[in-house]
Amino acid sequence: MDKTDALIERETESSLSAAATSQVLIPGPEAVDGLSDLYNEPDWMRQARHAAWELYESMDLPSPKEEAWRRTDLKTYPLDSVRVTFSARELDGIYAFPPCWDYVLAPVEQVSGVLVHCNGARTYAAMRRDDVQNNVVLEGLHAALATHSDLIQSYWMKGQIARPSFNKFSALNAALWHGGTFVYVPRGKQVARPLQSLVAYDAAGGTGLHHTLVIAEQGSRVTLIQDRVSQDEQEELNIEVVEIHAEAGARVRYVSLQHWSEQRCSVTVQEAQVAQDANLVWVAGSMGGKLTKDFLRSELSASGARSTMAGFSFVHGSQHIDQSTYQHHRGRDTYSDLLFRNVLRDRARTVFYGMIRVEAEAGGGTEGYQTNNNILLDEARAQAIPGLEIKARDVRCSHGATVSRVDPEERFYLQARGLPRPDAERLIVQGFVRPVIDRVPLAHMRQRLEDEITERFWQ
Amino acid sequence: MALEIRNLHVAVEGEDILKGVSLVVERGTKHALMGPNGSGKSTLSYSLMGHPNYLVTEGDILLDGTSLLGMPPDERARAGLFLAMQYPVAVSGVSLYSFLHAATSAVRGYGDQSDTATRGRFNAHMMPMREFRKEVNDELDLLKIDPIFLRRYLNEGFSGGEKKRAEILQMAMLQPRYAILDETDSGLDIDALRIVSEGVNTLQRELNIGLLLITHYQRILNYIHPDVVHIFVDGRIVKTGDFELVEILEEQGYEWVRQELVGGQK
Repeated sequence: MDKTDALIERETESSLSAAATSQVLIPGPEAVDGLSDLYNEPDWMRQARHAAWELYESMDLPSPKEEAWRRTDLKTYPLDSVRVTFSARELDGIYAFPPCWDYVLAPVEQVSGVLVHCNGARTYAAMRRDDVQNNVVLEGLHAALATHSDLIQSYWMKGQIARPSFNKFSALNAALWHGGTFVYVPRGKQVARPLQSLVAYDAAGGTGLHHTLVIAEQGSRVTLIQDRVSQDEQEELNIEVVEIHAEAGARVRYVSLQHWSEQRCSVTVQEAQVAQDANLVWVAGSMGGKLTKDFLRSELSASGARSTMAGFSFVHGSQHIDQSTYQHHRGRDTYSDLLFRNVLRDRARTVFYGMIRVEAEAGGGTEGYQTNNNILLDEARAQAIPGLEIKARDVRCSHGATVSRVDPEERFYLQARGLPRPDAERLIVQGFVRPVIDRVPLAHMRQRLEDEITERFWQ
Repeated sequence: MALEIRNLHVAVEGEDILKGVSLVVERGTKHALMGPNGSGKSTLSYSLMGHPNYLVTEGDILLDGTSLLGMPPDERARAGLFLAMQYPVAVSGVSLYSFLHAATSAVRGYGDQSDTATRGRFNAHMMPMREFRKEVNDELDLLKIDPIFLRRYLNEGFSGGEKKRAEILQMAMLQPRYAILDETDSGLDIDALRIVSEGVNTLQRELNIGLLLITHYQRILNYIHPDVVHIFVDGRIVKTGDFELVEILEEQGYEWVRQELVGGQK
């Protein structure tokens, strides 16, 4: 490997990891102080955590009467089992990474940086020299608070949904977030290769409370591939917030993959702020989890902002994925496009609730599109509820949804060429999600997703 | 060694379409089956391939002595039967290349893909890439197809002629013992018809294929010269002869057959 290409590994915070070994915090004001003490956080963060905790305590769980929660039963979501667990163990480097998770990461020579979290603790961080020299940051959020406190404070949880008061879950994350991915790309800088963030929990992992903050300044360019894996031996929770800021003219690609174990229940709140002439490409892939509720929102806050959201999920068994998407047009000449494709097997269930909203000030040249397609195998069920709210004139918007089975004529055609029925269906399904997979960078990542889909057919 | 159709009766959605078809296509011979629209020609081809909507109510189909009834389409294909379809179906997102690779591997017996021991490692069942690539390139040359074609999604946005060429490309890779070409000539211009026909002739000769050519028109039969010609009307073969039959048909139309039929019944 060329020396300039080599990733520079950063020192692991030994004191932190040592202190963190096998601690468990029970949610409460003491846990807030415990976390702030442990990470030696600035006062503003300690205060923000406390305020969020109070909010959390004062809020009820979302009512099943709310539109966003009508189709996902929170009774199966054991919020009282939340526990913040520390069992970090230091990793010497990428090659000491647990082999069962090895396949998750792309080869180091294909990326600009790697950040690994295990059980909430940052266990590995490395960046290419060029990017370090450009002051690009890919770091654990706790560590970044020591170096970029003011910057983080100015962006912290001020979104439409990425705010503590959005729901009980976002409040809990704001109060007790533990482990975080911080990406900062200074004005005009380009990160040549994707950054990679892995959020992992092993059998001792406890509740996921990861918080991701991406700040891409004016005219910058960056790709973040974030993946989530867990090895749970009992039912676990994940309560996660993602905040993305694409400043004016920035180009941000966020590839968000979810491979939780099928014992993990998750609620995530994810929001991208897309500024004037900025371009966001968002790819979301979900394969894991027992019960998943995602709020995915792109805020097209100024003229010329563009957002493309593509998602796929492949669920089986009794997995349940409920995704609420929101494309919010607040500027003229804004463009958004969403394509979500789901494949469901066995008794799995997906819910897609998609909204395009165009404000009055966004009239003139604005376009918003949304498509949700589902292929069902076996006894699975999919619900798709698309919505439009248009307050402006001179806009072009459309939405559509389909729920269907594998086309019997396509299957016959492939079978007539010698492919056994499961292989024929697998090819059709792979073709179905291809438009989404094709938007994932790195051949390694695409191949891995294809392999996983293949594997799903043998399970 | 033959594809043998014995007194085949087939119903579609409760309606009898084939009413006793008997036909023997020996390895290495070329049969043409001609008939008017709606006579049941395509029903015959789909029934031979095992389309689930076509219900065999009587009779049998034997491939080299083994009954195909009860076999799903993929088993029939792996047993050596090929159907070039009149209306090939588009499969979005699946490139012609990856499809051909999977199909060729399946038909040539690169492992049983339902074998759980190889879970998730599909490529373990695949024909080696280099070998496959070389063979495909040879066949592309034969059919004068631009290699870029392989990257396109299967039949998606293909013109009529491109679809038919892609069908014959598949036939070349799958190397069947018996092939049914269902109106492969429709949608082909005169140059494409010549190229496709020459390709079929080459393959038929090299692989000693027993060929059943289903068509409306004489046109393709000028290139692929049949040994035997059958005339198919109302779910039955009503007349069998040699190439002379084609010429009579071309001159006098199917009305002549119908009249002769009525005459014969009197």
